[in-house]
Amino acid sequence: MMNPNINEKDKRRIRDIVQDFARKHSLWVLAYGTGCGAIEIPPTMTSRYDAERFGIRGSATPRQADVLLITGYLATKTLKRVIRTYEQMQAPKYVIGFGSCTINGGMYWDSYNTINALDRYLPVDVYINGCMPRPESVIQGFIKLQSLIAEGKADGADKYQENLEWYRENQKKIIHNWKMPDYNW
Amino acid sequence: MLDKDCNENKCAEQIKKTFQTAEVEVKREKRVTVQLRSDLIPPFLSFAKEFMEFKHLSHMSCVDWVEDNELELVFILWNYEQQVQIIAKTRIERVNAQFVSVKKFWNQAETYEREFHEMYGVNFVGNDRLGEFILEDWEGVPPMLRDFDSIKYSKETFYQRPGREDAQNVRATIAKHSGEEVPGFAKDYTIRNIED
Repeated sequence: MMNPNINEKDKRRIRDIVQDFARKHSLWVLAYGTGCGAIEIPPTMTSRYDAERFGIRGSATPRQADVLLITGYLATKTLKRVIRTYEQMQAPKYVIGFGSCTINGGMYWDSYNTINALDRYLPVDVYINGCMPRPESVIQGFIKLQSLIAEGKADGADKYQENLEWYRENQKKIIHNWKMPDYNW
Repeated sequence: MLDKDCNENKCAEQIKKTFQTAEVEVKREKRVTVQLRSDLIPPFLSFAKEFMEFKHLSHMSCVDWVEDNELELVFILWNYEQQVQIIAKTRIERVNAQFVSVKKFWNQAETYEREFHEMYGVNFVGNDRLGEFILEDWEGVPPMLRDFDSIKYSKETFYQRPGREDAQNVRATIAKHSGEEVPGFAKDYTIRNIED
């Protein structure tokens, strides 16, 4: 029954499975819109598409949130705030990149102050493509995230912690005036 | 056609009488354009506000005429009683651009001036809030000047995800597939990209 190739650290215990089952049904999304994509969030949350039936709800502060939704383009100025916000969130935490702009820059790929690939700066668990993605695809993306959580594969936060140097190097390449507190993990 | 003694023509006459070097033109109903020397702009704005009842500064903008090595400043004023808009334009030097702040006539000009300072590098004498405005930690050429190469900057600064190399001009590709005749004038901006 036991697979000897799986090492002790990666083994999933029954406790993990129960925990992940609970987590996937209670995703609190930080109400923080960065780009134009935030306009698709109100219809997703309200009665027409009713994301709450999947356990997706808004939360007020980063420390209460599980999911950071990057809705569209990120200016370098906003990126600084987003990194601070992400680092304040408590694990388990997940990032969803929303819209073409987070994937390859979208229509702002040649702009002087928007980043082109979000996963160089933050660990993205799920990308939702589209410009803009409709509420159906937003919910689809959340369901994908839920299945990743249930399988224990949504480990972006761990990757961020392990490869913090690489992420920091990329972040500091853009944000020249780095005056940020170091959050403890 | 406008009447001879309509508000627009009256305004134009009044400006011509006071500022003899101004090039005044009645563009259409409710719209008068005025081209002025840069040192005449503050007296002109003061005159328009105090004596011609142009109480409202609707907008200010800046245009980069890199071919002429000049920047153009545009002031748009509105008169509520006569329902006339004046567009006052002036040209200034592009290198070390400098102009007088018009903050003393309208307070909202301050915000526009801060923007021009950041995006075009124009120094407004008399405005003491010309600091960092929208951009953060920006160094180098102001980004709205036309000799700032945005694509080059983006390629140097931000990671470019591969996959855009085969991006096709949609209009030209469809025309090619369907054998559509694209008129000559439209070719300039549709087919050109695919043939390059």
